[in-house]
Amino acid sequence: MALVEGHTERKLPTESSLGQPLDWEWLRGAKSEWGMKPTPSKRGLTMMDIAQGSYGVIEDHPKYRSMAPRGADIDDNTPDMGYILNHKSQVWAENVMELYEEAVARQWSSTRDIPWNELRELPSDIEHAMCQLCTVLTEIEMIATDLPAKWMWRMNHHFLEAKMFLSTQIMDEARHSDVFRKRALANGGGLLMSRSGTDSLLRSILEAKTYTQASALLHLLGEGFILDVFRQGELIAPTHVEKKIFRLAMQDEARHVAYGTMHIRQAIAADPDEAEEIHEALDHGEKLFLELGTSPTLSTALAVLLAGGVEHIEDKGFPMQDLLAKKIFTSYLARCERAGLNRIERTALPLEALGIDLNQFDQTGV
Amino acid sequence: MNSIKDLAFFQSLADYMNDHPDTFEILGEVDMTMGIIMFDPAGEDLRVCLPFEELGCASPTTMAAGQETGCDCWLEGDLAAWETMFKNIEAGDGATGRQTISSLTLVGEHIEVHGIDPMGIDRFFRFNQTVQQFFDGAGQLALSNS
Repeated sequence: MALVEGHTERKLPTESSLGQPLDWEWLRGAKSEWGMKPTPSKRGLTMMDIAQGSYGVIEDHPKYRSMAPRGADIDDNTPDMGYILNHKSQVWAENVMELYEEAVARQWSSTRDIPWNELRELPSDIEHAMCQLCTVLTEIEMIATDLPAKWMWRMNHHFLEAKMFLSTQIMDEARHSDVFRKRALANGGGLLMSRSGTDSLLRSILEAKTYTQASALLHLLGEGFILDVFRQGELIAPTHVEKKIFRLAMQDEARHVAYGTMHIRQAIAADPDEAEEIHEALDHGEKLFLELGTSPTLSTALAVLLAGGVEHIEDKGFPMQDLLAKKIFTSYLARCERAGLNRIERTALPLEALGIDLNQFDQTGV
Repeated sequence: MNSIKDLAFFQSLADYMNDHPDTFEILGEVDMTMGIIMFDPAGEDLRVCLPFEELGCASPTTMAAGQETGCDCWLEGDLAAWETMFKNIEAGDGATGRQTISSLTLVGEHIEVHGIDPMGIDRFFRFNQTVQQFFDGAGQLALSNS
């Protein structure tokens, strides 16, 4: 190959010193976008900024099933990596690039950012309740690491940004497991009871038949529930140390819920028949989450924290828990509606007993 | 210091945020338009639109009744509830106990979070620490004015 530099034509070697053939085609720039230069936004060069030309085209059915980067000049004989999630609607969400950037910008460290030295001795019942809650949380948070990890290697690499976002979720959830484990141990308490019901729920999520079903169970239902538990952190945290833990974890969880809501919406929009599978998963999942929320260990620990101790558990703890349950399931049903799912007619949740006002929902969706 | 019922008060909070990017950088960028509604028993309600972007807040503006639906989410409550929250912030150099904005909106007895779109409300949760830090700026302003 000859390379023209200014007015000089330079002949390039066709073989290496060991006799191997050399390929200089890349020097010509394979794609028509050569020369296109994205402009960084105020925050820097984001994934949204570089999603230009063919680099930003997310195809519904990508041609290849390889790790070749989207927008590159890809060999026709590039190997099939065995991906099974090869349709955009199976993994994508319209907000996924934004959420990835947000996740990268809002990472935090359980080691550095929590003022562990400021923990103080608590009444025994409060410390026990906090440790019990942290035992449950450190157990269940890892499901949100394991589940994306189970599916990510089956996702077509064309949907790179979705995989990158899920990678941040894996890191977020590892940190949540880490921070609640640390809190259980940090104040002289420890890990308390792990009960079989919790693991049955987790197994049920992990064994979902499709990624979209799994996402509905994890992101929409499970993380939505945990997001609201973290919101309750404002009321249940005995000190500013726990408050900070819950607030930071809440922000992470809200991103995951935002991805799941819009992913489900995309999946249903592409194939309305998908809704029935999602409904089936949620029919089962809602029962399990109701069991988790009312489980004898978790519900009593939460009630003690809400009441500020066992003394006021009946006049403050349980009534406050009922109020918050109403808020949790109202938020969940609103997110379902935003995702395109009408759960009102279908759900087995005791809406009337929870005191949920159905008039606030459009009851639209599939 | 400006009364919390003045737009100038929110402009001061925005200025403080814009002048202290280092304080907000660790929390990450924000992309959210949030409304504030203060119901005044005298009938002079205040509606403010706070356009958060990157590490700052562009100029707050007042809104007419009903325009809050154009925000991702909005926080509404009686003037007295807002005064209690800001007094708590000024006294403690930051919100404490049940006067954090997350606590107040969770219980929702005095200040509620609303949005037309649940995804907009979820932005309030996604950027909650930044919103709290923004309000906590009132404590710094009180200190500098004292």
